[in-house]
Amino acid sequence: MIINTTILSWVTFIYFASAIFYLFRMVTGKQFWGPLASWSALAGLIAQTAGILLRWFESYKMGIGHAPLSNLYESLIFFAWTIVFLYLIVEWRIKSRNIGAFVIPFAFLSMAFASFSPNVNTRIQPLIPALQSNWLISHVITCFFGYAAFTIACGLGFMYLLKGLEKGESSGPFLRFLPRREILDELTYHSVVIGFIFLTLGVITGSVWAYSAWGSYWSWDPKETWSLITWLVYAAMLHSRFLRGWKGKRMAIMSIIGFASVLFTYFGVNYLPGLHSYF
Amino acid sequence: MKKIVLSFLSSLKLTVALLIIIAALSILGTVIPQQYGPGESLTHMSPGLVKTFRSLQLLDLYHSVWFIILMCLLSLNLIACSLKRFPTSWKLFTATPSLDRTKPFEDLSPDNILMIEGERSGITSRVEHLLMKRYKRFRRRDTDTTTTFYGEKGAYSHFGVYIVHASILIIIAGAIIGSLWGFEGFVNLAEGESTDTVYVGRQKSLKELDYTVRCDKFSITYYANGMPKEYRSDLSFLENNAVIFQGPLLVNHPVTIKRIKFYQASYGTIPGGRVHITITRGNDKGTTLTVDLKDSFYLKENGAKVTIQRIEENFMSMGPAVLLSIHSSEANMQLWVFKDIEKMKQAIPNLLQKVPKFNPSLFKPYFFKLNTIAHTYYTGLQVSYDPGVSIVATGAFFIVFGFFLAFFSSHKRLWVRVDEQEGKTRIMVSAQSNKDPVGLEREREYLLRHFKKGSEVII
Repeated sequence: MIINTTILSWVTFIYFASAIFYLFRMVTGKQFWGPLASWSALAGLIAQTAGILLRWFESYKMGIGHAPLSNLYESLIFFAWTIVFLYLIVEWRIKSRNIGAFVIPFAFLSMAFASFSPNVNTRIQPLIPALQSNWLISHVITCFFGYAAFTIACGLGFMYLLKGLEKGESSGPFLRFLPRREILDELTYHSVVIGFIFLTLGVITGSVWAYSAWGSYWSWDPKETWSLITWLVYAAMLHSRFLRGWKGKRMAIMSIIGFASVLFTYFGVNYLPGLHSYF
Repeated sequence: MKKIVLSFLSSLKLTVALLIIIAALSILGTVIPQQYGPGESLTHMSPGLVKTFRSLQLLDLYHSVWFIILMCLLSLNLIACSLKRFPTSWKLFTATPSLDRTKPFEDLSPDNILMIEGERSGITSRVEHLLMKRYKRFRRRDTDTTTTFYGEKGAYSHFGVYIVHASILIIIAGAIIGSLWGFEGFVNLAEGESTDTVYVGRQKSLKELDYTVRCDKFSITYYANGMPKEYRSDLSFLENNAVIFQGPLLVNHPVTIKRIKFYQASYGTIPGGRVHITITRGNDKGTTLTVDLKDSFYLKENGAKVTIQRIEENFMSMGPAVLLSIHSSEANMQLWVFKDIEKMKQAIPNLLQKVPKFNPSLFKPYFFKLNTIAHTYYTGLQVSYDPGVSIVATGAFFIVFGFFLAFFSSHKRLWVRVDEQEGKTRIMVSAQSNKDPVGLEREREYLLRHFKKGSEVII
């Protein structure tokens, strides 16, 4: 096994540990687990960054140098990276560890799928002609930052729905640790805004790329169409905030539906015929 | 009636409903195979279903009447909403509130009020100095006993939403212009072939170009692991038999000739072709020949005539092969010559005993070897002209710009009043914002902290 994939498969376990620590903190109600969770997430992120850079370096040593953003394995790794990166910024900004238990597991799952699924090829492969473009890096980075922000919004949506189950003092620490619903609503909104802007940038960079590769900035390829569907769902969500009675629970559900659409854009589309089939 | 239509068109509920319906219809378009889509698998569906879908225009959904109606409605909705709300935003942008108003200072919470020991005029000028630095739109009003300041910034943030919506209309307009006056064409060109016409659109109608395109050569290079590295067409563009441009066309690197763009879209091989074979006699060096399909050559020692009967890229899954038929005064035979005969012999040890026709030295004393099958490639060119692209790009630029105004800027308005109370100087701060309460709070705290600086605070 090559070093970078070994490092990256270890990162999977670090994120798993981090997710468990965040969860322990919520279940036991003991702050002791909090710093442990945050620091392990940060350690995982640093190790993962090193792993990604090493992979980049190794591809150049193989003579087929390119940014490690070119196949399913590399995109899953980068997806996990953006989730943890964005999450740690949020944790630092809002000075609260309460949403970690609902976000870090997504990063763990993405890493685990990349590292341990037999259907995911971990080898460094050269770029086929269609991928040899300067737009590859900006397109993938903007898309995945968008996806990561939507992942956080989805985690917040679940938290909002769970918080609704709380019944006064009789509820355990888990539900009491969840932030107030107004805060969750506000955070969901902000995450969706960030995701929406990045998704828009991702669609724009993708269109520019398609214009130079396929001869048309928009050709209703299933992946393009699904990114538009995702965009429309979140656009609907951002508008419905201004409608009476649409704040709160319905927004939480919308953030989960939106994330389902993101997942389909990412994975499901591979089962439909189209131009993005190498991803 | 007019009123009802207008209020329907300008309602936010309609926006949300349209966005969701367009999303749902788009999903349908990815589930039902599209007639002109990459799948082209209509044959998997029953003819009855195809007929129903076709009559409902679901087989070319993104160009169907339904889709166009919805996009028109969305555009009208965008325009109506903007027209309805813009006057309010404009008023907020241009408003110059009267500084005599006391309303902003009513019901102020105590932490918005500072009581400071010191002379009022000195404190007032310090407050003014700080505010002038931070607020471009700034005004002052004095009476005998009070000084009131008004400052605002970020008033343009009211326009963010209009910029975003206008950008979407611009993008739609660009797309319409492209589909009306642009074209998407396609042409396959064999090496050495040239054309001045391409197939355009769904109906594959012919379109004549102002010049001729010639494919001089098509080539593929591979990585060591067999994955394709480069598809390359060497093209010449000619006008009145004079070359106006010559150069390679690569994937991701289109060539533009007179506003029309050429893209490397696909390639293929033309059936037939020619082969390179080597004939060895005993221990001699051997001769290598290039022979076309159905052509013959003669072996000089015995005058046998050898004809290339068939050329197979992958005969019986054993790789490239040619069928030779040999006629001489002594023998009449047919034999298959493989490129990978050594590998085959290793895989199946008694192959040549079992199938004598595969024996490369069947016609003694000669040994035939197939070196390569030469391909004649054709290149598939996409030929496009889209006058709407720069318009769509403009829209895309402004939509991002609009997002930043709409989501990350806010109109902050600030009233500060300085007066005297019980022998002390009182500063009252009232701050308002159309969004971003957190940023507003930070601004308020900053100002209060700096008003305090260097003076003795009483409360």
